Amino acid sequence: MPRPDALLLARDGDSPGTDWTMVQSRLIGYLRARGARADLAEDIAQETVLRLIAISRTKEIGSVFALGFRIADNLLVDQHRAESRYADAGEGAEGEEGQWQTTAPSLDRVLDSRRAIEVFQRCLNRMPALRREVLVRRRLRNESCRAIGEDLALSGKAVEKHITRGLVDLRRAMEKAGIDPAGWNE
Amino acid sequence: MMASERAEIDSAAALWLERMRGPVQDSAIAASFDAWIAEDPRHVESYALMASLWQSEGFAQAACATRAGNDNGGDHEDGEGGPRARANRRWFGLVAGLAALAAVVPLAQGLFAPTHTYEAPWGTTREIVLADGSHIQLSGGSRLSVRLTPWSREADLEKGEAFFDVAHEALRGFAVEAKGARVEVLGTAFDIDVLAGGRREVRVYRGLVEVAGESGAWRLPAGTGLVLEGAHVRSLEGIGGDRPGWLDGWFDAQDTRLDRLIERLNRTARIPVVLDDPQLGELRVTGRFEMDSPQEIVETLAAIHDLSWSREEGRYRIGRQ
Repeated sequence: MPRPDALLLARDGDSPGTDWTMVQSRLIGYLRARGARADLAEDIAQETVLRLIAISRTKEIGSVFALGFRIADNLLVDQHRAESRYADAGEGAEGEEGQWQTTAPSLDRVLDSRRAIEVFQRCLNRMPALRREVLVRRRLRNESCRAIGEDLALSGKAVEKHITRGLVDLRRAMEKAGIDPAGWNE
Repeated sequence: MMASERAEIDSAAALWLERMRGPVQDSAIAASFDAWIAEDPRHVESYALMASLWQSEGFAQAACATRAGNDNGGDHEDGEGGPRARANRRWFGLVAGLAALAAVVPLAQGLFAPTHTYEAPWGTTREIVLADGSHIQLSGGSRLSVRLTPWSREADLEKGEAFFDVAHEALRGFAVEAKGARVEVLGTAFDIDVLAGGRREVRVYRGLVEVAGESGAWRLPAGTGLVLEGAHVRSLEGIGGDRPGWLDGWFDAQDTRLDRLIERLNRTARIPVVLDDPQLGELRVTGRFEMDSPQEIVETLAAIHDLSWSREEGRYRIGRQ
């Protein structure tokens, strides 16, 4: 059966009661942890909930949070783009014409700092080679777990496990180094 | 919070992040994700932090660097064996966990794939054919080093300009470093120019490449280009045809600084051009120049900007009137 977007399935009944207040508070938590200022997090969470409610009137939403986080991410990126454009214009930087927008607009300035890269790198280097290989291929080439598993003679579950453990290792390394991923500007 | 509880939440968050990255196939999985997020506010926080880690450019850059370095340790074959790549990967997967084998692999030939360095003298263009079938045209005064391993193809353009026509391989990527910018190739033809002052220009003629610079990463399809100057990024217009003009002896200047035009001209010219005053380098030039006729270019430049020129001691000099 074709599925145009698995997050938005055709609706065939009334939506079960969704606790939108709880959804909004989780969205605020999400946005704050993604580094948004408190006021911005509230605005974006509210806008996201309004959009989710509008969508839920006509479609059944597979995962409210998966869709909600996606909407919130986009709104947050838009907001920061607008703000940085404003800042650039204020500084009289190069004209906007011809300026490229990155394919993956980073929300995470602190995590892009030279120091963070060093911490990431050290952590990657300490990992077992196989885990590092799995993580790097998943992140850089966006290879599927199945493709990685076939190539490295691992089961899909084992690949998933390597990725999960690798992420936890990276998170610990950042904590130890005192780098707060939720921090916005250094 | 107990440390073990935190570890549990972080592991669950990492697993959800991995599962939810693809399209959600299963409504039961979607529902249990929602239930997990709703259950505890700490869950969403951990999930968001994991998402930030995973998506950060910092992680991508560290992973890039690690992959390049990592191939040193895993390499145990003559690096130039393209068709064996898949078999080697499988083999690598099997032994990676066995420390014993790693100790057995001796410090013999092949442990490190050799790095080949190519240079093209001023005034010449050098054609290089790599063992994987890729063709590279190296402009005069340029230096490039290349390292092929069973898992990767890495090049470093230390200076100058090179046009890459990369043989497509499903398993090995092809990446070029250019003074801190990284161009990842996804089977394609493109040109990189490392200019004085840290400016780097990338032009894509076929396929798709990914460029990672100081301020982000961009995907460039054929017919597009980028200029990176520190954290500043601008697009390049007017890229057409299937290879850059310099290979056919032409240079298209578009509001190009005079010193850049001269830098490029001197790469292929037998008689170099020098400016009396470096400040003249800031003048801008637009137009199509035939690089084989430096004297004509010097005359044209002098006419455009009301400058004087002379030929002495084996060089062209451009100065003020």
